Amino acid sequence: MTENTQVKASSSASLKQQAVGFLKQFGFLLIIAAVFGFFSLYATNFLSSSNLLNIVEGSSILLILALGMTYIVALGGIDLSVGIAFDFGAAFAIVALKNYDLVWYLAVMVGVSGGLLVGLLNAFLVVKLSVSPFMATLGTFFIGSSVQRIFTNGGGPISHRGAPQEFRDLAVGKIAGIPSEIVIASVLLLVYFLFLEKSIFGKRIHAIGMQREAALVAGINVNRYLFWGFVIAGGTCAIGGIIGSANLRMFSPLAGYSYLLDAIAAVFIGASLSRNGRPSVSGTLIGVLFLGMIANGLNLMGLNFNTKDALEGVILVVVLMLAVYQQKSLGKS
Amino acid sequence: MATLNANSQSSAFNWRALTGYLPFIVFILMLGYLAVSAPQLLTTDSLDLILRQSVPTVVVCLGLAVVVIAGGDDVVAGGIDLSIPAAAVLAAAIMADQLTNHGTAFLPALSMAMGAAVIVGLVNAFLVVKVAMTPLLATLATSVATVGITKVVTSSRRINVDHPTIVSLRDNELGGLSVGVLLTLLLVLIFYFAVHRSKWGMSLQAVGGNRDAAELSGISVNRMLAQSFILASVAGGLASVFVLARGSGSSPGSEESLLLEMILATFLGAAFSPRRVVTLWGAVLGAVLVTALSIGFKSIGVNVFWTGCIKGALILLVVASAALATSKD
Repeated sequence: MTENTQVKASSSASLKQQAVGFLKQFGFLLIIAAVFGFFSLYATNFLSSSNLLNIVEGSSILLILALGMTYIVALGGIDLSVGIAFDFGAAFAIVALKNYDLVWYLAVMVGVSGGLLVGLLNAFLVVKLSVSPFMATLGTFFIGSSVQRIFTNGGGPISHRGAPQEFRDLAVGKIAGIPSEIVIASVLLLVYFLFLEKSIFGKRIHAIGMQREAALVAGINVNRYLFWGFVIAGGTCAIGGIIGSANLRMFSPLAGYSYLLDAIAAVFIGASLSRNGRPSVSGTLIGVLFLGMIANGLNLMGLNFNTKDALEGVILVVVLMLAVYQQKSLGKS
Repeated sequence: MATLNANSQSSAFNWRALTGYLPFIVFILMLGYLAVSAPQLLTTDSLDLILRQSVPTVVVCLGLAVVVIAGGDDVVAGGIDLSIPAAAVLAAAIMADQLTNHGTAFLPALSMAMGAAVIVGLVNAFLVVKVAMTPLLATLATSVATVGITKVVTSSRRINVDHPTIVSLRDNELGGLSVGVLLTLLLVLIFYFAVHRSKWGMSLQAVGGNRDAAELSGISVNRMLAQSFILASVAGGLASVFVLARGSGSSPGSEESLLLEMILATFLGAAFSPRRVVTLWGAVLGAVLVTALSIGFKSIGVNVFWTGCIKGALILLVVASAALATSKD
């Protein structure tokens, strides 16, 4: 009897439920489509193929940092020092070229090691001293910022006009006709996808992020995964910094900070797009392209620099809000 | 055998208790070193200077302490508000712009600034309570947006302020203490009575202590959380006046050092409390000590960027020793 009434009630509400379910699943995609439509109408040349390529190329560095962030968020942490790893990558590479005259590929390796160093500090704090990832990476952020100011006497850029062409080509060159930034970012994207989504390691990483205690009970060495997670994320972000420095042929201190919130936002947008509300590599890619599209569209609309900054900040708050809202409702259903 | 066990347990316990005091000990050692190498630090003049300089940090720390008390001090799921310094700097920018560029009177300018700060708090409250974002993510996002809006207000330029009310906050004295310090003392007392001596404060602490138990005993957890973020933004708005007085105007980018000092002072303050939790008095004392450290390093000629580095390391020392002191094994 009661079962019967329940069935009736549910069937009468099913249409509405379906609509709500649809919105919960695809609501964010609708927003992406709406923003795309808006810029197509109001930003001149937005839809031209050269501009669409611009969006993809302009998103490459953010994608690299967001991949590192995806890894850490999948582990259940957060990394506020991705910008520092970016800066260290840039600084180490430029100094290796300028002051030590290293070959370009050695300079790249030195740059990556700069990011690994930042990751090692985070890993040490989180795993050995059991500091929460948030506090540990915030401390690293403060120390890393100060170190850059000390090193540059207050934050002046270090430029190296005579950087070898091979190094510059990391940012401005082409590989098989495709801008090398896009190629490098795509390779990293593929590696992260295979690692985080298709391998047993990825399954364990997601298990740690979802249920740390359960993962421990199941015999996963949580500390080892956390340790290498921070180290690898640091190295990855440094690659972004190296490309950035190759592009401008200089290291500008604290430049990485501007990527921090975008990287976090991209990961959470991506999580809101996945079926279970978990961070994922493909979701992060969509998040990054969405943010790249907003930055590009606002640029094309010819806004003043400060206004554009403020508007981007406000849009990010709204976008994050919608993403988290959708992610939570996915988690509940 | 049994005694041996007891011994080893108690020595482990002592070691852990000692770890908890480590940041406190390091701090005292540093201040002691500074006092020896720069004896002028202990004169009443420089103690007065320390108090005056610490005022903006003290006021933002009051705000953060309230949020942490309500949210619990688990830094990820618990209460944190990274946007207080950004709100303070936005409010300072609005006030500087109004006073200097538009000739607005003090009170209207202050109310506009307070309004802007409270909007930041309302957005935080909405994001945390209604959208269920983690406070960390919510306040990080609002702080970045707030800094962006500040750039629009100031066009990323410094605005000097020589309004008599602002100047008198810094320069006038009442009974040997600066007006700014006295007003801050009053503010600390108001916050103290609100949090520790009122029914509202008891509910706030209950929510921070055990959210489910508070809910069961009939306290609206969501309302208390929302109020804590709004109160924090009020503190940020009030701090703007002192930020202007300290810097004789608003300068772009001053939120970062304020954020660093606020977090260091508030969590260092936890090391002073018997239960190692964030308290109002601890935060206030922490803010004064952190300022003393900054001024001390400056007076013995340490590069100001090194001071930032040392403070960053101190934050890590504070949180690491707290984590080790409370860890199970």
